[in-house]
Amino acid sequence: MAEHPTASWQAMQDGSVFYRQQRLYTLDGKLPSLGDCVVAGCRNGGPLALMRDTKKMIAIGPATPMFAKSQIQVYSPSGEGLLLLSWEQAKIICFGWTGDERLVILNEEGVYRLYDLQGDYVGITDARIHDNGLVAMTGSLQLLEVKGWQGGRPLALANPNLSEPPTVWTLIPPDLTISRHVEVLLSVEASVLSVDNLEAVDQRLSRGPFTHMAPSPNGKSLALLTMSGMLWVVSTDFQRNLAEFDTVSAGAEGPVKQVEWCGNDAILVTWDALVLLVGPFGDTLQYYYSGPTFAVTEVDGVRVIAADACDFIQKVPASSVSVFRPGSTSPSAILFDAWENFNNRSPKADENIRSIKLDLAAAVDEVIDAAGQEWESAWQRKLLSAANFGKSFLDLYNPTDFVNMGKTLKVLHAVRQFEVGIPLTLFQYNYLSPSHLISRLTSRNLHLLALHVSSFLSLLPDNVLKHWASAKITKSKHVVSGTGKDTEMLGDEEVSKAIVEKFEKLGGATVSYAEVAKKAWEVGRTRLATMLLDHELRASDQVPLLLMMKEDRLALQKAVDSGDTDLVYHVLLQLYNRLPLGAFFRLIEDGGSSLAPASRLLQVYAKEQNPEMLRDFYYSDDRRVESAVLSLEEAGRMKATAKLTSIKAAQKFFSEDKERSFEAKMMDEYSRLLAFQQTLEKESTDKIEFFGLSVDETIKKCLLSGMTKRADKLKSDFKVPDKRYWYIKLHAFTATRDFEGLEAFSRSKRSPIGYEAFVRHLVEKGHPKVAVSYVQRCDSNKRIDLYVECGEWVMAGKECKERGDRARLEKLRSSCPNSLIARELDQISSTMN
Amino acid sequence: MTTSTPPNSDQRRETVDVSILREIARNSLVHALNSVNGAKTLVLDPSLAGPLSLVTEVSLLQQHGIDKMFWLESGPLSAVTTSIVYLCRPRIKWMKIIADQIRRHSAESQKHTYTLFLVPRTSALITRVLEEEGVLGDITISSYNLQFIPIADDVVSLENSEAFKEIWVDGDETSVYDSSQALHTLQKLFGLFPRIIGKGDHAGRLADLLTRQTTQRASVDQDGLLDISDTFDSLIVIDRRVDMITPLLTQLTYEGLIDEIVHIKNSHIEVPASLLNAPSNPNQAASGSGSTSAAPAPVLVQDKKRKHHLSASTDPIFSELQDLNFASVGKRLNKAARRLDEDYRARHQASVSQLRDFVGKLGGLQAEHRALQLHTGLSEIIMPVTRSEVFNKSLEIQQNLLASYDVPGQITAVEDLIAQGAEMQVVIRLLCLASITAGGIKGKTLENIKKEVLQAYGYSYLPLLLALGSPPLAILLPNPLPSSAPAAVSGAKYPYASLRKSLRLLIDGNESLEELENDISYVYSGYAPISIRLVQCVTQKGGVLSNPAKSKEGATEEDGKKGKSTFLGPTQAHPIVGFKGFEDVVESITGRTFDITQRGAAATNGVSTTLHSAWKERTTTTVVFFLGGCTYTEIAALRWAGCQTQGRKFLIATTGMVSGGSMIESIAGVGRAAGTSKEASL
Repeated sequence: MAEHPTASWQAMQDGSVFYRQQRLYTLDGKLPSLGDCVVAGCRNGGPLALMRDTKKMIAIGPATPMFAKSQIQVYSPSGEGLLLLSWEQAKIICFGWTGDERLVILNEEGVYRLYDLQGDYVGITDARIHDNGLVAMTGSLQLLEVKGWQGGRPLALANPNLSEPPTVWTLIPPDLTISRHVEVLLSVEASVLSVDNLEAVDQRLSRGPFTHMAPSPNGKSLALLTMSGMLWVVSTDFQRNLAEFDTVSAGAEGPVKQVEWCGNDAILVTWDALVLLVGPFGDTLQYYYSGPTFAVTEVDGVRVIAADACDFIQKVPASSVSVFRPGSTSPSAILFDAWENFNNRSPKADENIRSIKLDLAAAVDEVIDAAGQEWESAWQRKLLSAANFGKSFLDLYNPTDFVNMGKTLKVLHAVRQFEVGIPLTLFQYNYLSPSHLISRLTSRNLHLLALHVSSFLSLLPDNVLKHWASAKITKSKHVVSGTGKDTEMLGDEEVSKAIVEKFEKLGGATVSYAEVAKKAWEVGRTRLATMLLDHELRASDQVPLLLMMKEDRLALQKAVDSGDTDLVYHVLLQLYNRLPLGAFFRLIEDGGSSLAPASRLLQVYAKEQNPEMLRDFYYSDDRRVESAVLSLEEAGRMKATAKLTSIKAAQKFFSEDKERSFEAKMMDEYSRLLAFQQTLEKESTDKIEFFGLSVDETIKKCLLSGMTKRADKLKSDFKVPDKRYWYIKLHAFTATRDFEGLEAFSRSKRSPIGYEAFVRHLVEKGHPKVAVSYVQRCDSNKRIDLYVECGEWVMAGKECKERGDRARLEKLRSSCPNSLIARELDQISSTMN
Repeated sequence: MTTSTPPNSDQRRETVDVSILREIARNSLVHALNSVNGAKTLVLDPSLAGPLSLVTEVSLLQQHGIDKMFWLESGPLSAVTTSIVYLCRPRIKWMKIIADQIRRHSAESQKHTYTLFLVPRTSALITRVLEEEGVLGDITISSYNLQFIPIADDVVSLENSEAFKEIWVDGDETSVYDSSQALHTLQKLFGLFPRIIGKGDHAGRLADLLTRQTTQRASVDQDGLLDISDTFDSLIVIDRRVDMITPLLTQLTYEGLIDEIVHIKNSHIEVPASLLNAPSNPNQAASGSGSTSAAPAPVLVQDKKRKHHLSASTDPIFSELQDLNFASVGKRLNKAARRLDEDYRARHQASVSQLRDFVGKLGGLQAEHRALQLHTGLSEIIMPVTRSEVFNKSLEIQQNLLASYDVPGQITAVEDLIAQGAEMQVVIRLLCLASITAGGIKGKTLENIKKEVLQAYGYSYLPLLLALGSPPLAILLPNPLPSSAPAAVSGAKYPYASLRKSLRLLIDGNESLEELENDISYVYSGYAPISIRLVQCVTQKGGVLSNPAKSKEGATEEDGKKGKSTFLGPTQAHPIVGFKGFEDVVESITGRTFDITQRGAAATNGVSTTLHSAWKERTTTTVVFFLGGCTYTEIAALRWAGCQTQGRKFLIATTGMVSGGSMIESIAGVGRAAGTSKEASL
């Protein structure tokens, strides 16, 4: 029987708040001496990374195997060794953990590498690492930020203008600041500088310099330790003073090792032999450890690792306090009491239940939650039974929470086992999400457990399967190598079959094969990679790998099939870089119609960005028409003689294609026109611009500038039909208001466009009086309307009379604009017989 | 006129709520902007200003740190803030401008941080171009996924005006892919389309991408397979190539004509400022609506132009007018004016309590009044154009070509139009129309008229003519085809003559416009758009065969003395069964025909049968997607078709709003002018 939960409780603030220390695992010397190491702990029950602290002298003894060369060791909280990394590159500046439990190692050259728990790397003077990025300090005391772990480019933060390195510095992760951008705090002289990507603000403090700085897990408060050992807590905007405490009074020896937060409202200060918990009102609790310790801040507490044990210190959750607090009369405590009485067959049980009848539902909820907060399964069981007992007195109670808590505890219990060694609390589990837990399990190669957990929680098993397959490929590598080609092929088929079978059985059709195939390719098993890739449905995953494998045509084909033009560009541009131009063109041309979309995309790109390449492309493919159009389009952007040259080139291309004699002729005309326009400009001593106009526009401009002869020459040179020529002249004469010229022109011969056009155009341009003279020359049946358009109502009336159209006259009369005209029309009408 | 109920009545509007799409667009914009710290300068792609103004407003941008906005255009950029944010579509020309500006800044040793948001997604091409320009290291590239934007309660659009040109001239299928992504977003919101039906090669490609995505996305998104939608009954995809005739015709509805003449850009029009100012004297504007002589128009044109958002949801008069044939617009305006006048007059003979009611209504009246003023003004701009010779001539040519009457004569008429100096796009539209309806233009004639076009408008239009004459477009062809023509061209002949009969495209001339109102041909004064007839082949088979209102008329007369109310109301929608009954007709048009049934997560046979039994009671929505754009007139036609059936609504989705003119001009590469001021606005 485990001891009562309250046995580990310690009171603070006059007994109203409790803290408890939970021994998670006993370590008994599984870890090297923490005092000689630099340690980084991953939040949420994650592992520890240790490296020898090169600044310290060490007595070489039997327990120090890791000091031969630069090595980083990774241990689970239960002290199980997870990984041993050897580091052969430049000096390690800093290492830390990402949110998804990968180890980040940053060396002095500014290179960082990411390691998962398999020790495979995916991926200055000092750095700070948070879950989703890092901030590094360069030798010149500038700050660089790297966002995310996908190889993002470092961005410079505002220059803090430091003259010497800060005594201590820290950062607040972007998701915890108000601006949602990372904020760096530097302790400089007596003050603190806060730096983000826009500015560096001096907070004007006077109590520094500080030896330790730690932001709380929610980013709202900051713990500072002064040189004189004064612990000072302020809000991160430095507006509010939250607490002060003199650590010297604790009476510990030596310097303070760590200042860490325990949840969001207490601070843990550690010395070599003492761990001191400072509450928000300056109350303290002391924990003694033999030897050095290392503390890892968690969202709901703090994990302390010492030589002999791994402990968890947290504020006792409200629900546990409510149930177990001595003398508690809360409904949940009474419920628990009732259940115990019931078990003891005491009639008090009924009495208890009755007394809390109204609050029973809340009490059940609280007891369920309290179960989740307990570490010992015996107590979890008790609390859940109590909840179940209470539940039975309720008519309508939604049991979802109860069931979920049972499931969750089962999962937590499984991963808390020391073999796995992930001491997650319920709060952390909810904070992280179950899928995150699964990926933690897979990264420890605990595939079976991960699979069980994911099916237990009905999550998709994809990630587990992918990770398993990758691991399988890596492991099987050694078995087959060196035993001849046949066995290797056999091995490939076997592995591929095993993977495909497993995927189809467990994952349905939705599992992605590309990642697994990539893994196979990375370990040099191209054949296996191809086999696996065939099962991949998503082109966007397939194509990059195919490119890597130099399966150029296949990659391009798959990209085209996907319909994703960006993917096609991706392939095209990569191939263009890698292949000789001839081979590149041949690849596209040989593809025929199936690669036609790629060919057209290449043209779209090249037309604007790389016309030289396009010209070569058309030339190599004998595409005369396209070449010609390209020249023609280029001509559009050119001036003067260069334009003429381009047009001539276009003409030549067209003439090489028998089908395009019309186009060639047109281009010939075009170049003739341009040449003609150049002479026109010379004649007008460059005063009038002609170059680039169309034939009609040129004629019109000639007419407008009085170069009538030239206009006539253009007409005959370009065989402009009479009709068009007449319209141009009509428009030009009207525009220059040369009505006499127009009159003479109209009489030069019978108009091929009739005279109605004259009337309409003149009216439209606002010369109705001039237009009238042309009405007589129009067809007689249109004259009435045309007169009306000219505004000559009386003449229209007379026309009616001439035609004897009384009805029409009446209509005119009814629609005429004023009475004067009406009277005149009446008069006309009266003279009609 | 008793039969016509404008389709704008309330029942049309209750389709699925698309405003959620606007919310999504807004939120992701805010998210994107917040990812850049502090005050920032926004440099905006002018082609995005319109779409953005439909989802957000300047104040929202200011709230999220936008200090100043500039158009993305060549030339130096002077920004006071450290952060500069570029927001643009992934076009190479923009990248060159951006690179130039960054280089300038570094030459002047100005320190800025640059962030580039690409719409709708980042692109390997852009990374490459920026790399070649040598500025990739200075800029952070991210994306702003702007997909469907609601431009009316029943219309969502990607607002990409270049889609048609990109797909059918450049062969760049990016917009097909983007469309499939956007449609998938719709599916994520409302469930899977139970059935995807469509016509056209690129439409087929889109359907393939969409179905493939549905199966693949499931595992990536971790949210498993989507369920079959219960709001959607199907998705109909029509690609623009299937019906090239419709956009080539002049649009004759009110909104369509505004687009043809004033040009609607992203639901905004530029009109003389005087039309938008508050009215000075209420009675004056109202009385002006009847007489529309040509006189006032020239005066108006010289005014300063202002942008106005045309929206049926805020403008009751527009919602009444937008889908009407322009011939009936004057009458409607008059009626609205008179009604408004009466409302105003009511105040003179009112008791105190009535007066209070009146004052309460005043705000609404004034808004209506302003709207009335705008629309009378617009009609006055449109009217002279519709009376011009070129306009009427081209209408006449269109009607004749549709009836296949005297084709050579029409070509000659087009020649006359060229001589008269008609707009290039008008001429090209007519030529293409002639070529499609008549199966090509006689070789010699075609060459001759091409020569005239080139001489009149400039030889630089030769690439346009070549593009129109070659596959995949092939809408300006000689007849007979030269023997060397590729198979793609010779096989693509459009069966116009047989479609005219089988789809009842032309309505006899002796029916008056009012009788037509119940048939979709109303919108083109006697021609039913092929695209909408194809939609009807799926959703309203009866409407294709005969005028639904007419058959009703017969029925009611027998019924007895119902008198004048001949229109009995809409008929019940039939279930979606693909092109059944019209397979041969649809097959005769080139391009893929497809009909895909999608299976959702919970798809079992049991479920689908219950769906069918519950058919009668539910109102479902049919999504009609136009790949390559649709015209305002087609939307109007679809709305008319929609109000003839009960139990089915249409949600129209498109890559963008087009007109024949805008299509031709985008192929020719002549852009319509954008904003002129240096400082950007929405």
